Amino acid sequence: MGANISQLERDIGSDQFPPNEHYFGLVNFGNTCYSNSVLQALYFCRPFREKVLEYKARNKRTKETLLTCLADLFYSIATQKKKVGSIAPKKFIARLRKEKAERSQSKPTGGKCGAGDAGSPPEPTWVHEIFQGILTSETRCLNCETVSSKDEDFFDLQVDVDQNTSITHCLRCFSNTETLCSDNKFKCDHCSSYQEAQKRMRVKKLPMILALHLKRFKYVEQYNRHIKVSHRVVFPLELRLFNTSDDAVNPDRLYDLVAVVIHCGSGPNRGHYISIVKSHGFWLLFDDDMVDKIDASTIEDFYGLTSDIQKSSETGYILFYQSIDCN
Amino acid sequence: MAVQLDGGGKEDLKTQFVTREGTYKLMTLSEYSRPNRVGYTNSQGSASVRVSFVTLPDPTDPTGLGDRMCFNFGKELYVYVYRGVKKAVDLNKPVDKKLYKGTNPTCHNFNQTTATADSAPLLVGFSTGQIQLIDPIKKELSKLYNEDRLIDKSKVTCIKWVPGSNNLFLVSHSSGQLYLYNEELLCGTTAPHYQSFKSGDGYAIYTCKTKSTRNPLYRWVIGAEGCCINEFAFSPCGSNLAVVSQDGFLRVFQYNTMELVGSARSYFGGFLCVCWSPDGRYVVVGGEDDLVTIWSFHEKRVVARGQGHHSWVSVVAFDPYTTSYGDHDPDFSGSDDETLPHNNHNHYHEKANRLSTTSQGIHSNRNSCGSELRVSGGTCYRLGSVSQDTQLCLWDITEDVLRQPMCAKQRPSAAGSSTLPTSGTVNSGNGSTTNHHLNNSKHNNLNNINCKENASGNNDSSNNSMSTNTAVSTVNSLTQRLAGLGFGERKGDNHKRNFSLTMRGSGASNSTIIQNSSGDKATTNLNTSSNLNSVSGSLVGANKKVSSVMDDPMRLIGTAWCPRFDECPVLEPLVCKKLAHERLTELVFREDCFVTACQDGYVYTWARPGHMVGPLTISSTLHRPHHHSNPYTNINSLRSNDL
Repeated sequence: MGANISQLERDIGSDQFPPNEHYFGLVNFGNTCYSNSVLQALYFCRPFREKVLEYKARNKRTKETLLTCLADLFYSIATQKKKVGSIAPKKFIARLRKEKAERSQSKPTGGKCGAGDAGSPPEPTWVHEIFQGILTSETRCLNCETVSSKDEDFFDLQVDVDQNTSITHCLRCFSNTETLCSDNKFKCDHCSSYQEAQKRMRVKKLPMILALHLKRFKYVEQYNRHIKVSHRVVFPLELRLFNTSDDAVNPDRLYDLVAVVIHCGSGPNRGHYISIVKSHGFWLLFDDDMVDKIDASTIEDFYGLTSDIQKSSETGYILFYQSIDCN
Repeated sequence: MAVQLDGGGKEDLKTQFVTREGTYKLMTLSEYSRPNRVGYTNSQGSASVRVSFVTLPDPTDPTGLGDRMCFNFGKELYVYVYRGVKKAVDLNKPVDKKLYKGTNPTCHNFNQTTATADSAPLLVGFSTGQIQLIDPIKKELSKLYNEDRLIDKSKVTCIKWVPGSNNLFLVSHSSGQLYLYNEELLCGTTAPHYQSFKSGDGYAIYTCKTKSTRNPLYRWVIGAEGCCINEFAFSPCGSNLAVVSQDGFLRVFQYNTMELVGSARSYFGGFLCVCWSPDGRYVVVGGEDDLVTIWSFHEKRVVARGQGHHSWVSVVAFDPYTTSYGDHDPDFSGSDDETLPHNNHNHYHEKANRLSTTSQGIHSNRNSCGSELRVSGGTCYRLGSVSQDTQLCLWDITEDVLRQPMCAKQRPSAAGSSTLPTSGTVNSGNGSTTNHHLNNSKHNNLNNINCKENASGNNDSSNNSMSTNTAVSTVNSLTQRLAGLGFGERKGDNHKRNFSLTMRGSGASNSTIIQNSSGDKATTNLNTSSNLNSVSGSLVGANKKVSSVMDDPMRLIGTAWCPRFDECPVLEPLVCKKLAHERLTELVFREDCFVTACQDGYVYTWARPGHMVGPLTISSTLHRPHHHSNPYTNINSLRSNDL
């Protein structure tokens, strides 16, 4: 491991190493790679890291929450004497496991959601400021033609994936018009009854950091289990949204890809999570306690597979796009 | 929104499709690949399969079998005789075949200028940066450039002979550099020392600092450091060079003076591919925004975008042989295989001499380049694009759409993000241009009115345009051809359908069309773009530290470089067809067919309407009579087979 760490410094070059930056791997405590990969991705979402460190500076000696554990961990990474190495997120994992057991709802993105929820009182917090966007769902009753719209907050968008597409296309499909009919009719206030309707969801407020969760684990009735969808979905280093609503405030917001959580393996119940992040213009791969500098051209290895034969794949799972106007 | 786990099964692969000019059909006998197809498995991550053609000038060969085709796959390179739709080739008998170790061929280009009946110089670029010059026909020739990777270590992304040159060629690398080589010069045994020759906004050019002339003659550094150049293309006249890069920029240079004459920015992500319209008036680029972006060389602005692909656009190419057509059935959009047009008719720009076609044919029209547009009414361009989504899109682009000024949509935040004038802020003052545009728009309007009057009588208008097209097809010069194609046969409603503008705001498309008929607006925009140019011009030669508009994508949005999405027309494809299971990597339009290549190593030939070869029609097609009278029988028989 020691050789690997010094290799990283050599790869970056001591004169090129960004000042005040630390690249620390996270020790795996057994099946904690999902948490490690999300933690690294969040650490390299700069606005989020800064807010967590601010929180750490502001709140001394409060009751332990997942957020205080996260703040301690980020603080510990940010104040390391060495530039590279690894660190054991012991307290955070313990807390995460405890809260998970308490709430008994598990999700691979638990790290992020937990961090957001734990510290958030009902009023908007800095987590909202960074990740929150607004989706507006427009529903047109096919009987009276009345269009009603409803806004809802989101912290990430969960998008279906199709074979040989781009994330851009998947996002456009996310906002395709769907028809509500048969069992799924729409209760029209104007008609005061259930009617067939057309519905589409578009983005009204674009968040500072756009988290895109690719729905790569799909329940298949035939097998009676979730299987992994390894479809090749390309994601550009830069993104704008096509599926914004007409009244969107800043529909031209331009995003930069800053981090990707990657699932490696053949199914949801096995495999491994790693992450790649962009820091000071170059890309790093975090695999638990190991950190490597990678060439941007290797990102294409994580788009997915064009062949539909089920096999192991390393595929982008959560994409973090950061608006370029926020720094 | 259900996800198909099989990702769209094999059943929806197209082997034929219908456009308004007829049926295109996959020629299964003209399929090229490695001779031994075993082991065709891992195409993940390997270089794109590209295809190069050359026509050997051999007047003694009446069969016209002078075409050679080269394609790369993995570590291999194959050269075959290419017989288009006519005949299958024994894949076990390539003209030449190469297997490389430790490197992949990534791109290649024949020298059409120096090709003779028994010689066809072929340049090959490699993933490790080297360049090889071979002659697959003569065989003895083999020269290496950048052999020890002293000039550039990164992947060769595009390689092309300088148009009309016997010995100069241009090579781009993923390092963001472009080199000019002379095939007769040596590369030297040491790394070249460069001295600055010229620089401008976002680029710098160096020469080699040596006593004796050596390769490279020039080194162009384009964009930010290490920003991959994905492709470049010479204008049909050879005097302009368009370069697209991973930084999302199209940069167009005057090749000889090395001046940057214009640029554009992607909506987002890198630009991956570039081509020029056959008349040199438009540059089309495709990229990671899944869009096809059309940039006007004369106006120096993005004039339209095409949205239809589901993933990154890998190749864009104009079809110089399909420049216009008459369509008389408003219900036929050409998008459904099961629909046959009622008034379907074909026309071909057949040329008597076969050798003057293919790439040479296009080059012969170079006189049209650079001169002020003289085309009145609507030229209709046919553009093709292929993508990583495994689909082919064909686009019909009419000049009236391209002439629409940028329409600034009223929006609260629009003013804040840009300090540059957008359309509508400058008064028109350029008399000649105004007249020009006014004339054109008047002309268009008149024609449109005429069309509407005709709309009821489908048969009449069909006959009309039939004769128009026949007349046109006898004109040889491409420019004349473009100029001669009036708007007469197109109807207003029909037009809307086929070139529908998917504007974001409801009702926005209507207002756009109204603006279209205003000549003043168009001129306004010309002025705007020249203002923008002067802004960038003032930055030429400035230190890189000086904040350029080009460095800040948020200042580019809403300008001529990168209009907002609802500020310029959005075109829909005429057809969009899934042609393969793997990413499509090549698209070449030829006289009797178009050729696609796929990441899995297959090169497919698609016969144009009327050029299909069935078992019984081989002999007649070999001599290729004019098909104006007989394609219907062909299509019908094929259709019945298909159903």
